[in-house]
Amino acid sequence: MSEKDFAKAGDFTLADLMTVAAAREVNDHEVVFAGTGMPMVAIMLAQKTHAPNLKLIFEAGTFDGRPDVLPTSVGDPRCEDGASRASGLVEAFSIAQRGYVDLGFLGGAEVDEYGNVNTTVIGDYLNPDLRLTGSGGNPDINSFAKRTVFIMVHEPRRFTKNVSYITSPGWRVKKWPSGEFISRKELYGGAYRGGPSAVISTAGVFRFNEDTGRMYLDTYHPGKTPEEIKGMCQFDLDISRVSGETPLPTYDQLRIIHEVLDPEEIFLPKVKKA
Amino acid sequence: MSDRSKRITLKEAAEIVKDGTILTFSGFTIWRRPMALVYELIRQKRKDLHLIEVNSGPHSEFLIGAGCVKIWESCWIGHELYGKYGANLARKVKEKEIIYEDYSHAEMGFRFLAAASGMPFIACQTSLGTDIHNPEYDMMGRAGLRNGSNPKIPKKKYEWTEDMFFGEGRQTLVPAAKADVAVLAVQQVGEEGTVRIGGQYFTDPEVCRAADITIVVAEEIVPEEKLRHQAQLNNIPGFQVDYIVECPYGAHPTGMFGYYDVDGDYLRNFYATTRTQEGFDAFAKEWIHGLDHDAYLTKLGIPRLLTLQASRALNFSTRIKRGAK
Repeated sequence: MSEKDFAKAGDFTLADLMTVAAAREVNDHEVVFAGTGMPMVAIMLAQKTHAPNLKLIFEAGTFDGRPDVLPTSVGDPRCEDGASRASGLVEAFSIAQRGYVDLGFLGGAEVDEYGNVNTTVIGDYLNPDLRLTGSGGNPDINSFAKRTVFIMVHEPRRFTKNVSYITSPGWRVKKWPSGEFISRKELYGGAYRGGPSAVISTAGVFRFNEDTGRMYLDTYHPGKTPEEIKGMCQFDLDISRVSGETPLPTYDQLRIIHEVLDPEEIFLPKVKKA
Repeated sequence: MSDRSKRITLKEAAEIVKDGTILTFSGFTIWRRPMALVYELIRQKRKDLHLIEVNSGPHSEFLIGAGCVKIWESCWIGHELYGKYGANLARKVKEKEIIYEDYSHAEMGFRFLAAASGMPFIACQTSLGTDIHNPEYDMMGRAGLRNGSNPKIPKKKYEWTEDMFFGEGRQTLVPAAKADVAVLAVQQVGEEGTVRIGGQYFTDPEVCRAADITIVVAEEIVPEEKLRHQAQLNNIPGFQVDYIVECPYGAHPTGMFGYYDVDGDYLRNFYATTRTQEGFDAFAKEWIHGLDHDAYLTKLGIPRLLTLQASRALNFSTRIKRGAK
């Protein structure tokens, strides 16, 4: 088998597939804002493969990092290795608000059809069932970047008609004080740069209709069908534009993920062979 | 301040933080948090603290679990890889035992920049259209705290205006984040208060100036002239610092660039065992009450501290087990 061959079933995990799908969202020379976890591995994979000139920004204040050892969070000293500058959070968000960021990678507990994401609370904000972490930089990166990609676990309760709380803005958002829904572009006006461009879930890769801002299925992961994925969403998922199966990782990509980027298996466990 | 020593003990530092203090901290999530002082506040049974922070983490989870906190005002709480949310905050929120106020991360950062620069507010363009801006979710307003009785609590959570200079549309105005006391955990401080931080300085310079009183808890107090030899490496001038405390491993279990790594096992154990109040109380009984900082370090033990110790060349530990391998 060659390094460029696609891996056979059993030689990769779902997390590997998602990481490779996420890395594919990065273009060379882009400025990318990285969160903790799988996104970090995905961006560093892109940096070591098709996007060697990408500029990596860590929210805590490190710019153009080329870490040798995988950081476990953005405050980690490991972020600073090979970086152009290490400073602080106000500088990171000022740079983002100024418009330097092309792409942000984010996570979420719930998402709706328009890409509104919740990381704050399950249930009523005033009488919560479960308080989660809160926003962190999720809405900021999403507001400032030209594109954002969300990486999520796919369960029907998470792909919901209405998120409990809009932490991070999608394509149709609330206008205060009334709370009526309007288009993101209209609300953001001069501050508009873009918005969610993809959701990579444990079931497939989703994108957003250019005019309506509604989510559609682009690719389905191996073993899933579009109909099955439609059944895993509480909203009426558009499956009319499916382009095919999510491309599999190559052996080269798997080698970089597991031998170079995350040999300690911090975020991505290796396939367990009998 | 320059005519007397700024050096105090951990116990004295905690006594400066009175019941009801608006308190803020150095660091970022699980890095450079003043844990030793947080433990001392818990031992001294501080009440009704108002935590205002750029982002939160284990230090606040401890204070909240111990019942020291009345108001939590921030954007995020958790233990990163070692615990996915703040279980103690979640419990107190559900039981309505705490007032929580959410801004976005950039908004909190800009709020501290405003306070640090003497600006009453600052304009930004983030998080538009989200529930963070939902007027129904002004929790301090709902609690009647925006009546002007505390001059550091803004009378509004947000205001909006059109850009009157360049016509670039709607702007969110966020109020300055004003604090009574800032507690910083850093690598080095001079006898006169000059602070030298290793690695990312996060929001420490802003946090320091946003508060009336700044206490610096340092791994080492070093001769002031050594720091003044290369002033460009310093982050905070000494006159902005009121008190200094020397406390090695004072940020454990959070990490300290160049000195020690995050103690992931400790945080995992804390997260796993403090979901309930009984669990928290048992944890605090074992690790906080009846101990002082030296006893705490003795309980951790030399092998554990050596495992966490950072490589002098790399600034992080090469001995800790971070993943499955």
